[in-house]
Amino acid sequence: MNPLAAALFQIAPYLLAFTVGALIPRRQGAAERVAIGIVAALSVLLVRGLWPSANAAIPDENAHEWKYLLSVIVFLPILGSVFVLFLPRQSPVILKRVTFLILGLDGLLSLGLLSSPMSRGWHFQQIVEWVPAFGIRYHVAVDGVSMWLILLSTLTTPIAAYVSFGSLKTRIKDLCFAFLLLHGAMMGAFVSLDLFLFFVFWELLLIPMIIMIGVWGGVEKVKAAYKFFIYTMVGSMLMLAAILFMVWNYSKLAGYPSFDYLALQRVVLPHTAAWLCFIGFFLAFAIKVPMFPFHTWLPDAHVQAPTGGSIILAAVLLKLGAYGYIRYCMGLLGGVAWMSAATLAGVAIGGGIVYGALVAWKQDDVKRLVAYSSVAHMGFVMLGLFAGTQAGMEGAVLQMLNHGVSTGALFLLVGVIYDRRHTRLVREFGGIAKVMPIYAALFVIVTMSSIGVPGTNGFVGEFMIIMGTFVSQTLGGQARLQAGLASAGVILAAVYMLSVVQRVFFGPLSNPKNKRLLDINVRETIAVAPLIALIFVIGLFPNLFLSRVGDGVSAVLERYQDSRKSYQEQGDSNTARLTDRQGGALEQGYPEAPAKKADAAPAAQAQALNAVAP
Amino acid sequence: MNFHLMLAVSPILAVAIGGLLLMLAEAFGKPVALTGAQAGLVSTDAGAGRSDELALGSAVVLFAGALISVALWKVGPENLEGAATLAPYLIIDRFTLFFCFLLCLGGGLASLLAGGYLPEHNLDRGEFFPLLVFSTVGAMALAASGDFLSFFVALETMSLGVYCMIGLRRGNLRASEASLKYFLLGSFAAALTLMGGALLYGATGHTDFVGIGEGIATIGKAHSAVSAPLVLVAVALVIAGLAFKISAVPFHMWTPDAYEGAPTPTTTYMSVAVKSAAFAVLLRILVVGFGDPRLTSWGTGWPTIVAWLSVLSMVVANVIAGRQESVKRMLAYSSIAHAGYALVGVVATMHSTQATSSVLFYMLTYTVSTVGAFGALILCGRRGAEAVSYEDLAGLGKRHPAVALAFSFFLLSLAGVPPTAGFFGKLYVFSAAVDSQLNVLVVIGLLNSVIGAYYYLRVMVYMYMREPEPGAPIATPMKSGFVVVALIVAAVFVLAFGILPSSSLDIAAAAGLSHG
Repeated sequence: MNPLAAALFQIAPYLLAFTVGALIPRRQGAAERVAIGIVAALSVLLVRGLWPSANAAIPDENAHEWKYLLSVIVFLPILGSVFVLFLPRQSPVILKRVTFLILGLDGLLSLGLLSSPMSRGWHFQQIVEWVPAFGIRYHVAVDGVSMWLILLSTLTTPIAAYVSFGSLKTRIKDLCFAFLLLHGAMMGAFVSLDLFLFFVFWELLLIPMIIMIGVWGGVEKVKAAYKFFIYTMVGSMLMLAAILFMVWNYSKLAGYPSFDYLALQRVVLPHTAAWLCFIGFFLAFAIKVPMFPFHTWLPDAHVQAPTGGSIILAAVLLKLGAYGYIRYCMGLLGGVAWMSAATLAGVAIGGGIVYGALVAWKQDDVKRLVAYSSVAHMGFVMLGLFAGTQAGMEGAVLQMLNHGVSTGALFLLVGVIYDRRHTRLVREFGGIAKVMPIYAALFVIVTMSSIGVPGTNGFVGEFMIIMGTFVSQTLGGQARLQAGLASAGVILAAVYMLSVVQRVFFGPLSNPKNKRLLDINVRETIAVAPLIALIFVIGLFPNLFLSRVGDGVSAVLERYQDSRKSYQEQGDSNTARLTDRQGGALEQGYPEAPAKKADAAPAAQAQALNAVAP
Repeated sequence: MNFHLMLAVSPILAVAIGGLLLMLAEAFGKPVALTGAQAGLVSTDAGAGRSDELALGSAVVLFAGALISVALWKVGPENLEGAATLAPYLIIDRFTLFFCFLLCLGGGLASLLAGGYLPEHNLDRGEFFPLLVFSTVGAMALAASGDFLSFFVALETMSLGVYCMIGLRRGNLRASEASLKYFLLGSFAAALTLMGGALLYGATGHTDFVGIGEGIATIGKAHSAVSAPLVLVAVALVIAGLAFKISAVPFHMWTPDAYEGAPTPTTTYMSVAVKSAAFAVLLRILVVGFGDPRLTSWGTGWPTIVAWLSVLSMVVANVIAGRQESVKRMLAYSSIAHAGYALVGVVATMHSTQATSSVLFYMLTYTVSTVGAFGALILCGRRGAEAVSYEDLAGLGKRHPAVALAFSFFLLSLAGVPPTAGFFGKLYVFSAAVDSQLNVLVVIGLLNSVIGAYYYLRVMVYMYMREPEPGAPIATPMKSGFVVVALIVAAVFVLAFGILPSSSLDIAAAAGLSHG
């Protein structure tokens, strides 16, 4: 074969995908066709690039990891948000372009994470001393769990920004600032391995999110912003108390303070203290997820937030709660997490999957419905985490991605109809598939993914979670029952999603206001296309994603079992202790005891004396 | 040796001499010839209309005082022979130098604010600045005092200036009320403290804190003439007297009225310098004078009293602050709440060695954030239309984004949102409290900061998310280089303490007092 033919053969799949993608849209302009074609080609590239055999050539992955990558990903948007403040308010075009450029660049950079197969241990690790007196370090790293969440946010934030720029016309500068800061803070929260750093980013998230809800929101925006703020703040303050308590214990036992995740993992607390700390952490995360009964802020926030805000809220922000549970509740306080898992799983099923679905069913407002469906879906994610099995956890991580993709897409599509009619009430619609056929088709696809129809992403995640629950030892005797109830939740999802689809899209086109609705436009299609592509990519080739999650999850589970053991060994003892160092890849970057400095005061004195001496 | 002695007290001396010079300049300075509409309105006191020069002068004097403290810190007070001869009346140690720096910084920033505020609001009278400088001298001496005699003199020096500064707006009823209220309650508080000192002298035969501490240590031993009940009553009296100055609940009644009635720069000065100095002397008395193990225990000592003051201050002030309609009054209550947080650190001094340092650092972060918040509030208003209520600020974020951004920034620091100075201050205090096993206090404090964050957020909500009612008066920012400079200095400090706190934490740690 001559080189030209070989090259053609190489790019043939992309060309084919591009052509197919470009041919799909009817009646639309070249720009849309090209953009969708590009999305299709990129999806093929993603599948090819992630295929296990493609990376076989990589020998030792840690060798060529660029350790500043994570810092660049985190601080590029944060510095960008500061930069945006200095741009002129009067030129929204420049503001939008700069924001896009930064978000896009960040997205491209984050693809660099895929160069690592995410074996056991921490990747792209970077450590810088920050406040040595308190044992605070700038410690960032990713593993299989956090990597996909980062990629999910670098994908969805530009989409959310793109959508917002289309529908919001006022105060673009503030919007750009909020998006960039939010994005940077989310990245930071996912990569931090220092509890202090994590807390900083966790709090930093609040400000742009409040701005987003409170400035561009609906009628009750201020109330929703307060509600969101108060809920989250209460959770995070209790978490701060728990963090301080654990750090104090570590510094008492080890002789030097450290906020580092790896160090605090070794602390085994007496049972009462461990439970109180667990409650502190868990409340913060349960509010963020949100789990029943702390979910009431979510529908308000979603309904009031603009579409872009809802997408980010659903796609990424809620994941932070589940991620926090994996990382901090299971990682630091595994014993209590294990003890409480069965009960909490019951709450996740009863209050999340079933109750969330039933409430969603009764909603008139489509956005509120999607918000409650988030409660149900996150219930699945949490169930997978509580189950504590390899399959369940992998499924939970995958389901986080799925929820981000499909709920993000749902909010986007709901935003499309809201922009046209300025209402989201189901009874205002009916039969609009006749006037908006493409929109209807896309909506049905996303609905299928949300329900979990085989072939779409939702199926894989939910199936793995239910399977993991079924065999779970942690949940004990109720595992079978819980798996059964969770499966019933899938049926309920079909009930509420399909009923809304039926009422909105099919039946007679009764409302005259809907007669002249325009179908989905170029901008909106381009925004939703990557999400639709991902629905099928994840649905058809889940292993591409799971292969990078597996090692991270098994490390978490191993740690979980260990801390369960040390929790049991602790018994009724009232003194905290440290477990032995495990060593290995998981403790790479452990905060060692600082070199013994000579007593600080005499040293300063000596220095001062030298300074005075003529 | 004499040279060393002079060097040791040089921060206080420099500011005092600067104050005298300012007073001369003010007294012999010619009033500015007024023209046009202003002519009839302003009284023609000596130095009237000279705020620009005087503000600059007093800011230079105070910043010079701060710089001298820094220089002395570098030299190291323990290397100054002869400095100890001033003890116990003036104790020059790292603790004192830290507070000298802090008070000079707070005072200097307040005088910059005054340079912008007073002319804008027709209060352009020169005596404000010498008063402020002398009051700062008193505050510095208070932080340095190690004896009830010098303590009382310094306390009154500090307070007298403040009484006058509150009543600067002479014709205004609220200002007179505020001044009188503060004067009466302040005198009452001083009397309480004095009574405590007298009882302690009666019990132990000493007026200096070290001697009192030694006297208390002999209680229960053979041949001890020190009466334990007398000491306990005295401890309670001293703490109550100081609680007035730091405005802790239930001794806070004067605070909202005085803060609201006073010109805003005075309010800034009171909430920053007066409070810090009172905390300084409170720490010194509690740690040095009442550091006896029996007095630092829950059952028989001051921690119970201070813990209750702290809890009450946090809860009551935060709850009331959330209900205020005036931003200035809200900031007054917030300063009470912040006193409550700092008191958590004071309680922690019972066990933890780093607790005094944590209070020091907290006062530092509180100072820069508060100056910034009041400064931004000053910047929001102009002549005849001072920004006071929430409604005044509605929509400010849209009309004047820079001012609103500055205001939000300092409010976030007060709320303790990372990565600002306020967060590290809270973190240090609360981790010191965890170190002393005050977990309940920590949880109460953290939950209170949620309420706190609510009312700070409310200002931001008004600025960014509300539109002014049609026809309602809206705030139009004034233009003043002085205020802007003060805000920039404060912002630099807030960011520096928030992002790179390491060196300032080390300094605070070195400045801490230790028992015995």
